[in-house]
Amino acid sequence: MTRPSGAHLSPDEIDSWLAGTLALEWQQHLDHCQACLERAEAEREIVEQIGMLPLMSPAPDFAERVMASVVVPDPFAIRSLQATQRSLFATRKSVAVAASLALLLLGSMAGSIAWSVTHQETLASIGTWLLAQGGQVAWLGLRGLASNLIEQPWYSGVRSVIDNPARLALGSALVSLAYLVGVFALRRLLALPTQQVAHAGI
Amino acid sequence: MANNRPEWGGLSDQEVVLLARAGKEAAYRELIRRYERPIFALLFRMVRDRELSEDLAQETFVKALNAIDSYRPEFKFSSWIFKIANNTAIDHLRRRELDTLSLDGSPHAETPEAMQATALQIGARQESPLDTVEAKELGGAIEAAIGSLRPEYRSCILLRHVEGRPYEEIAEILNLPLGTVKTYIHRARNELRLSLAHLKE
Repeated sequence: MTRPSGAHLSPDEIDSWLAGTLALEWQQHLDHCQACLERAEAEREIVEQIGMLPLMSPAPDFAERVMASVVVPDPFAIRSLQATQRSLFATRKSVAVAASLALLLLGSMAGSIAWSVTHQETLASIGTWLLAQGGQVAWLGLRGLASNLIEQPWYSGVRSVIDNPARLALGSALVSLAYLVGVFALRRLLALPTQQVAHAGI
Repeated sequence: MANNRPEWGGLSDQEVVLLARAGKEAAYRELIRRYERPIFALLFRMVRDRELSEDLAQETFVKALNAIDSYRPEFKFSSWIFKIANNTAIDHLRRRELDTLSLDGSPHAETPEAMQATALQIGARQESPLDTVEAKELGGAIEAAIGSLRPEYRSCILLRHVEGRPYEEIAEILNLPLGTVKTYIHRARNELRLSLAHLKE
C-alpha cells in the first residue's frame, strides 16, 4: 500500500510493525519520523508488558468438578442409533424401504384423521352401538352370575339366615366379634418393644 | 487416563469433539485439559477474583460440554468456547459492579486465609525474588490498568495480546465487526499507555 505524502502511521500500520510485516515505504518513514517511532515503541512496550502477565491455572480438582456436572452420553445407545442409521442408509434399496414405510405410516395417519373429520356421524353411530352392546353384555353377565349363585347348595342356608331377623343379628354380631378379636391380635403383634434393644443406641 | 495422553496429542479439537459426541469420557477431559488454563486466565482478568473466575470457568465448561452436540465443526472449537466464556463473564459483569483489583486477594475475602486463597498466583516463570517483586509491581499495575478498561476493550485486548488470537477470530468470538475489534484494541492500548505512563516516569 503506497504511503500518501505527509501521512503518519495509522493503527493498522502500527499493528503491521508490531507483527514485523510493515511495508518498506512505511518503514522508511518510521526511520525518519520521531513522533511515529515514539508512538510505535510505546505500543510495543504495552504489548510486551501484557504478554508478560503471569500464566494462570485453576485448582487441580477443576476437571473433576466440571465432570461431576457434565452428562456424558451412553456410548452403547449412540452406537445402536448409529448402527440403525447406517443400516437404514446403507443401500438405495434400504433407503427406499425406509422411506416407503415412513410414507405408509404418515399416509395412514393422515388418512385416518381425514376420514374421522369427514365421517363424524358414522363415528357417533358406531359409538352409540358399541355402548348399547356393552350395556347388554354387562346385564347378561350379571343375570348369569345371579342364577349361578341361586343354584349353589349353600344358598338356601344363607337365605334362611337373611330371612330370619334374629339369626341375621346373631350372625352379624359373631362376624363383628371375630373382626374385633382379629384387629386386637394384630395390634399386639405389631406393637413396638417397650424395652431398649442392646447396641441400638448409637 | 494419563496413559492415553500421547494419542490425544495428534488429534485436532474437532476430532476430540467427535470422540466426545461418541460418548468417550476421556475426550471430555482432554477438552478441559486443553482449555482450562486460557479460559480461566481470561475469566480471571475479566472479573479479577480467583474463586469467582473458577466458578465462571466451571459454568463455561459445563455449558459447553453439555451442549457439545450443538457445536458446529466448521468453526474453531477455541472460538466457540471463548465465546461462551466471554458471554458468561459479560453476563456476570452486567449483574455486578466490580471493585478495584487487589493482587493480594479478592476484594470480597473477609479473612487472611480467604485473601491468600483468592490471591493472584505469580510464579509460573523462573525469577529471582527481586525480579518477582518488580514483576508483581509491574504485573499488578498492568492487571489494574486492564481491569479499569471497559469490558469490551478488556475482552479484545486479552484475546489479542494474552491469548494471541487473530483479529478475525476475536470478531467471531465477540460478535463484532472486524473494524470495531481493531478500534477497540487500539483504544485499549492507548488507555493502557496513559494509565501506565506514571510507572515509566
